[in-house]
Amino acid sequence: MPAALDQLIDALRVLPGVGPKSAQRIAYHLLQRDRNGAGRLARALDTALAQIRHCSRCNTFTEAEICERCMSASRDPQQLCVVEMPADLAMLEQTHAYRGMYYVLMGRVSPLDGIGPRELKLDRLLARATDGTVQEVILATNFTNEGEATAHYVGEMLRARGLKVSRIARGLPVGGELEHTDIGTIAQALYERRAL
Amino acid sequence: MSGKRVEQQPGFVLHAYPWRETSFVVDVLSRNHGRVPLIAKGARRPRSAMRGLLLAFQPLELSWSGTGELKTLVSVDWSGGLPLLSGSALMCGYYANELLVRLLPREDPHPKLFDAYAALLQALAHGRPQDLALRLFELALVRELGYAPTFDIDADGEPVSPECDYIFIIEQGPVKLQDGQSGEQALSGQTLLDLANADLSASESLTQAKNLMRRLIHHLIGGTLESRRIFMELQEL
Ligand SMILES: [Zn+2]
Repeated sequence: MPAALDQLIDALRVLPGVGPKSAQRIAYHLLQRDRNGAGRLARALDTALAQIRHCSRCNTFTEAEICERCMSASRDPQQLCVVEMPADLAMLEQTHAYRGMYYVLMGRVSPLDGIGPRELKLDRLLARATDGTVQEVILATNFTNEGEATAHYVGEMLRARGLKVSRIARGLPVGGELEHTDIGTIAQALYERRAL
Repeated sequence: MSGKRVEQQPGFVLHAYPWRETSFVVDVLSRNHGRVPLIAKGARRPRSAMRGLLLAFQPLELSWSGTGELKTLVSVDWSGGLPLLSGSALMCGYYANELLVRLLPREDPHPKLFDAYAALLQALAHGRPQDLALRLFELALVRELGYAPTFDIDADGEPVSPECDYIFIIEQGPVKLQDGQSGEQALSGQTLLDLANADLSASESLTQAKNLMRRLIHHLIGGTLESRRIFMELQEL
């Protein structure tokens, strides 16, 4: 096999969920059936690598030093919402229920995967949240064990610095009926029931 | 994917990691089949019914099939009864899971260890003292894996006396200290007898057991535990 083909197959294996067989299939497809597409992919990767970086304020992907959202004058700079991934931020934005700032962790605490405060660079979040302007931090990490661990320790860290800290609530889906809700959600909704 | 089918086994998810495009491999601790890696096909799809159930630290009932090293998860049922862990209790849970993942060979059933793990999670979920719960789990672990020598017989073959002090030498057992000898690692005979009886209600026994278990586990793991490192780093935030 030509060395360049070998290298391509090997390089494709960086993609999540792509093993040696799929890598070979993708390589043949690109070279045989879609050389234009392959060219576009190569250029897009090159451009993205050169131009995309992390916003120095919210840590999400951006082309500028500071992203547009962080520069916006119409958002409340006293509120900071912490999410795991950019996709979570996008969902929260769709709610139109929040007008504050964000911080994107790009991951979550996951001890069995060796991901802790150092790997997540939590010192950067600490610096962001203690800039003197932020008053309240809203923890919107996932309701998985890893998301809970992240929320707990980030919350403790920020509360100790005098910030107001809250966690998004969990429970039954809006418009949801008990009969059609998964058992784990109902169980936790019972454990976390609130007084009326 | 024919082959042996195993039905409705009590178990816990220890760890899950992504597999191919839409699946997980879940490392499961089951009561009757030990630690088994199961492929949860399609569990990473957004509307997967399995996805919300495959949570660590929750009692589950699992069925799987297959004969290879990786079996296929067929169904998961929620047994429930435990609130989700949080805070330091959650970190203790991760520590226990890392010990099991790193020390327990696959498909080597240890029902007593499973019960000790379930008891640990009960204690953690209900806010009972974490130290005691962890020590009892560690003790069950080293015993069940055959690493713990008898705590009540010393290295010379003599019964351990509650009146004497000992040092514990790994792979030999308790060695009696002569009068006037002492050492950082010294343990009272009473602690050793309490370990033999799995009763750590006395506070001195609990403290000394902590040191001994840490040494034994360090020896078994042969390195550092990620969950411990991360726990320490989190506490320093
Ligand atoms: Zn930004």
